[in-house]
Amino acid sequence: MAEQDDSTVRLVAIDGSRGSDVAAAAEALAAEVREHGASCVISRWDASGLFGEMAQAEVQQRQVSARNLTLVFAADLVFRLRWEIRPALAAGHVVIAAPYVDTAVALARACGLPEGWLREVLRFAPPATIRGWSRERKTDRAWKRRLDRGYPEYCAAMLAAADPRFRAKRTRRAMVEFLQDVKGPKPMDLSKRGLEQAARRIAATGNPPASPSPVASRPRTARK
Amino acid sequence: MMAGSRKRDQALAELIESHDSSRGLLIAFEGPDGSGKTTQRKLLQTWLESRGQPVVATKWASSPLFKPLLKSRRRLRTMSVEEYSLLHAVDFRHRVETSILPALWSGKTVLADRYLFTALARDAARGLDLDWLLHVYSPLLWPDLVIYFSMTPKDSSRRIASTRSPRYYDAGQDVTGIDDPLTSYGSFIDRVVTEYGNLAVVFKFVSVDAGEAVYRQHTHVRGLVQQAEKRSWSAFSKEALEEWLNKTTRPSGS
Repeated sequence: MAEQDDSTVRLVAIDGSRGSDVAAAAEALAAEVREHGASCVISRWDASGLFGEMAQAEVQQRQVSARNLTLVFAADLVFRLRWEIRPALAAGHVVIAAPYVDTAVALARACGLPEGWLREVLRFAPPATIRGWSRERKTDRAWKRRLDRGYPEYCAAMLAAADPRFRAKRTRRAMVEFLQDVKGPKPMDLSKRGLEQAARRIAATGNPPASPSPVASRPRTARK
Repeated sequence: MMAGSRKRDQALAELIESHDSSRGLLIAFEGPDGSGKTTQRKLLQTWLESRGQPVVATKWASSPLFKPLLKSRRRLRTMSVEEYSLLHAVDFRHRVETSILPALWSGKTVLADRYLFTALARDAARGLDLDWLLHVYSPLLWPDLVIYFSMTPKDSSRRIASTRSPRYYDAGQDVTGIDDPLTSYGSFIDRVVTEYGNLAVVFKFVSVDAGEAVYRQHTHVRGLVQQAEKRSWSAFSKEALEEWLNKTTRPSGS
């Protein structure tokens, strides 16, 4: 396992139970950070393309469990750390990982997997210095079963296809509760004011790099 | 709420126990490349089928969903050690849930041409922490019998050299950094065999000398299978079974 290095001090994690909210919060924070003079990149879910390729398989073959999906998330995160997050941190950029570990842990816990196993499997991921959680107001409904919206929506679509007994509403509620329970530093406020404060704090932690911002992974919806 | 969940757990435990006698046997074939696992697995399969026993064979990295993903990444040679390990773990878990457990549950014998010990030995030889690997592969579905085809790293290299050139990851070129696949394989398999040796003690492998004649090995394997006793699911693989039963639509015959 790779050891944590000093470059992780500028890693920001944004998690949430709705893919589009997480993506929007990451974009908004990145814009604020750039406005404050720091270079910033976003590392998005499925940069490795694993989930996209799985979705192309025949419907009968898509019999996946929450454990399968968590392991694929872990493999994708290894890819993101190797090709996006660590190189960008090493070059002095601020990295916004959206989503990061807590999204996968909360969703898998909501599906009944033990937290100890999840934390162990994902222990290679360096902890984020700042974390944000995009809160949902209306949690009492199921996710849209879209494979291109975000990790929770993708999992809901795959799990519902594999098991007709899958309860999306209950899982979503449980996921939000688990996200609330996550231990660690207090999550930043993702309101306009909160983002501005966070951006000021992030920009103050280091010098802007000489090189321009590297290309971040593209949003899931932009991929063909 | 608590009483309901306790009742459900108890019902599951009883269901697992009641299936322990009618379930199939899980036999794993392990050993270095070129040790003759596949030959012996095929011979055993033919023999069991000739006796009217339903048999399902499962090969390493063969899940229909994850095999294409692995194949394309292997070809590109872009996987890191952790990524390689996690993708094999997800392939293995998918096969356990969709082919191995359903077959065992319906009373078929499952012959696994390489089981999770292959991943443990190879990934540990690549420098990954065995404790982390065991977590990745948990909950474990213990095989009833692990047949290990033992041979020295030198013999394995010799056999491989006479038949084929090992592929990039099989030769461990991602960690040895050696350009020549055969030289890299020789160095890598040394570590893999050492790891197999450690696992053999913990998981109680039964050794078959891979240097013996094929028919002798087959006779030995037949004897081992005839004497094999089922490892109690309730004692060894309860967690894996419970998760599978909770997840899947209840299998027929339950």
